[in-house]
Amino acid sequence: MVREWKRIFSIPNFYVVLLVIPPIIFLFYGFIYQKQFARELPMAVWDEDRSSVSRTLTDMMEQNENIHFTNVVFSNAEIEKLMKEGKIFGAVHFLKNMESDAKKNHQSNITLYTNGAYLVPAKMIYKGAAEIIIKAGLAVVLQKAEKQGMPADKANTLVQPIKLNTTVLYNPEFNYQMYLTPGLVTVGLQMALIVASVLILNLEFKKNTIGSLLRISTSSSQIVIGKMLAHLCIAWLLFIMISFVVFPVFDLGKPQTDFSFFVLYTLLALACIGIGMMLSAISDNLLFVVDVALFFTSPAFVFSGFTFPRWAMPWYDQVYADIMPYTHFLDGFIKLYFMELPIGYAFPEMIRLCVFIGITFPVAVVVFQKKINQYLKNIQH
Amino acid sequence: MKEIFDILKREVRNISKDSSLFLILLIAPVLYAFMYGSIYLNKGEEKVKLALIDEDGTAVSRLLTEQLNSTPMIEIIPSSDISEAQEKMYQGEVEGYFYIQKDLEKYILSQKQANVNLVLNASRFLPSSDLLSTVTKVCLTVGAGVRKTYFNRQGMNEDESMKMTNPINMDYRPLYNSSMTYGAFLLPGLLAIILQQTLLIGVAAGFTSEREEKKLRDLYEISGCSISKMIFGKEMLYFCVFMIFGVFFAVVNFSVFGVTIRGSFPDLTFITAIFIAAVIILGMLIGSFFKSKLFAFQVLVFSSYPIFLVTGYSMPYQSLPRGIQVFSDLLPTSPFLKVYISIVQTGGTVLDNMGSVVHLLILLIALLLFLMLRIKYLVSKA
Repeated sequence: MVREWKRIFSIPNFYVVLLVIPPIIFLFYGFIYQKQFARELPMAVWDEDRSSVSRTLTDMMEQNENIHFTNVVFSNAEIEKLMKEGKIFGAVHFLKNMESDAKKNHQSNITLYTNGAYLVPAKMIYKGAAEIIIKAGLAVVLQKAEKQGMPADKANTLVQPIKLNTTVLYNPEFNYQMYLTPGLVTVGLQMALIVASVLILNLEFKKNTIGSLLRISTSSSQIVIGKMLAHLCIAWLLFIMISFVVFPVFDLGKPQTDFSFFVLYTLLALACIGIGMMLSAISDNLLFVVDVALFFTSPAFVFSGFTFPRWAMPWYDQVYADIMPYTHFLDGFIKLYFMELPIGYAFPEMIRLCVFIGITFPVAVVVFQKKINQYLKNIQH
Repeated sequence: MKEIFDILKREVRNISKDSSLFLILLIAPVLYAFMYGSIYLNKGEEKVKLALIDEDGTAVSRLLTEQLNSTPMIEIIPSSDISEAQEKMYQGEVEGYFYIQKDLEKYILSQKQANVNLVLNASRFLPSSDLLSTVTKVCLTVGAGVRKTYFNRQGMNEDESMKMTNPINMDYRPLYNSSMTYGAFLLPGLLAIILQQTLLIGVAAGFTSEREEKKLRDLYEISGCSISKMIFGKEMLYFCVFMIFGVFFAVVNFSVFGVTIRGSFPDLTFITAIFIAAVIILGMLIGSFFKSKLFAFQVLVFSSYPIFLVTGYSMPYQSLPRGIQVFSDLLPTSPFLKVYISIVQTGGTVLDNMGSVVHLLILLIALLLFLMLRIKYLVSKA
């Protein structure tokens, strides 16, 4: 284990991947979402009504934190042009005679356009503008009902006969930093652990240090356990960095979840090291194993279901997601870190991570023992 | 010209001999494109599970339940009480729960406001935001139905009651992604990023191996001691291969995944060509700073997510911190994606995005100058 630590701190393929890159990218991820929300999104107004109602509605929308009117337009073509140029994400169109129609009991239309090619801003604009337009329509109903002599309380009920009370748990404001940074950080961790550990065993042959390793022990299991413990310690170091530096810097720290996160994270770290060591034992081609690691780790985030749910993926993608330890870690992480549930809720995910550990390490031990035996046989000859 | 072709032939030999380069440059782009793309084959999510507790058990509450269940977005999972629904949410079986209180029908019939409650698990954004908007729409629709019934009872005809129910109608028109699905939004950008990352990593690793194997001087001599010929010769192969991939993605992948190119194909080809040229130069420049190909691979694995996240594709550019915006501006990906999305998704043209095209061209020239200086330095040291 001590020998492996020395190797980790002296070989760039280990220390850069495990100790230099992670803090840089983790802080970078936090910094990207420092503003936390997509606010003040550029939008255009096309006001053919030019009435006090249309002006009031425009002002109300401008007051909304998601919307900022940057352009005044006079046609559909202008809206489309500005969207094609990427200058606006949405537009609102007040038709001529909107106010007078409303007064005359004629239904009037307000058209809301969004650029669906940019989904996040489009949804934010819809959320901000729709709320105001719907409220405006209901205000007209209220006014008319009161004019007809309906008591205020009954008129209010008529406007909204069914009141929807919404409670959004765990991230009530849909804060991007709170949502994405922990996920990106943990996916970066699994990447670092696997990309480094695919070189744990085969690099000994490449650097001709296998002889010195075998002088300590010729037992593959002892070597694998010793090296695994060294890498696990580094993984714990990364945990300390995340939990006590990165998360607190961006106000993402949840001390009450530290223990359960630590347990789940340790299992993820072991699963990643196990996969890496298994590949490292199987193939001596360093570039090939790094290629495999790249192929295996890069899609983990999108396959995990964090941004797009797994149930909406075709079945074969769901199967592929299941053979990645990160998928199971993430399910548990959401329960323990985001939802702050007791550790027991993540037992199914922990068991799945244990399956990875239970398969990969024995394979690594058996294959590496064969290589050791072959090496010793070759030396004797 | 002969020197350029000699370098090109040499590059073909290098890649065909090197399995890792072959894999990343020729196999990975197609494999990744189909693998990642297939995730979004269904474009959007449907049947998001929502637990429902109906304590009212009346015709109105059943109508509300049916309305929720009939939307493609929601699948109702009946629950007997709140604690059961909560437990289902904790276990990850449902994304939230909807609670209909007792006396819903009684309140509505006696013209009193009735309350319903929606509790959402927002630890994942997409299901919770989709549930929120769908449930809100259903409740507003049912509420409007109640209003209309009231006005009908007051003696208004269908037309009058409709106008009274909804005096201001919101006509929502999401352009360029009418179904507002995540897949339709993400797929074009995702395919572009796959093209970029495989090219960037492959070219960088290929250039690093020239340094690692101390072949840079040899390459310089083959080029007739011309750095520009050296760069051009190396670039030609990657450029041709990735232009073919670009066309393949636009023709085959787009059609398989149901992405329509709304703009013109020549515009798309033009901007893709500049982008590929810029990424190759950037790849060589990055590769020139590494001494080992293995190490280059290991480090560049980490570049994919940060590059994608700063382009303004997922989080709007305007909402990124100033420092990140500057970093984003230094990458060819950001101006390219702006033009590319405009052409593919909105039917824009190169002329609509001249600012970004010029931006990309400036980056290409600047990167080329840096690369020439860097190679000059490396050759002098070799």
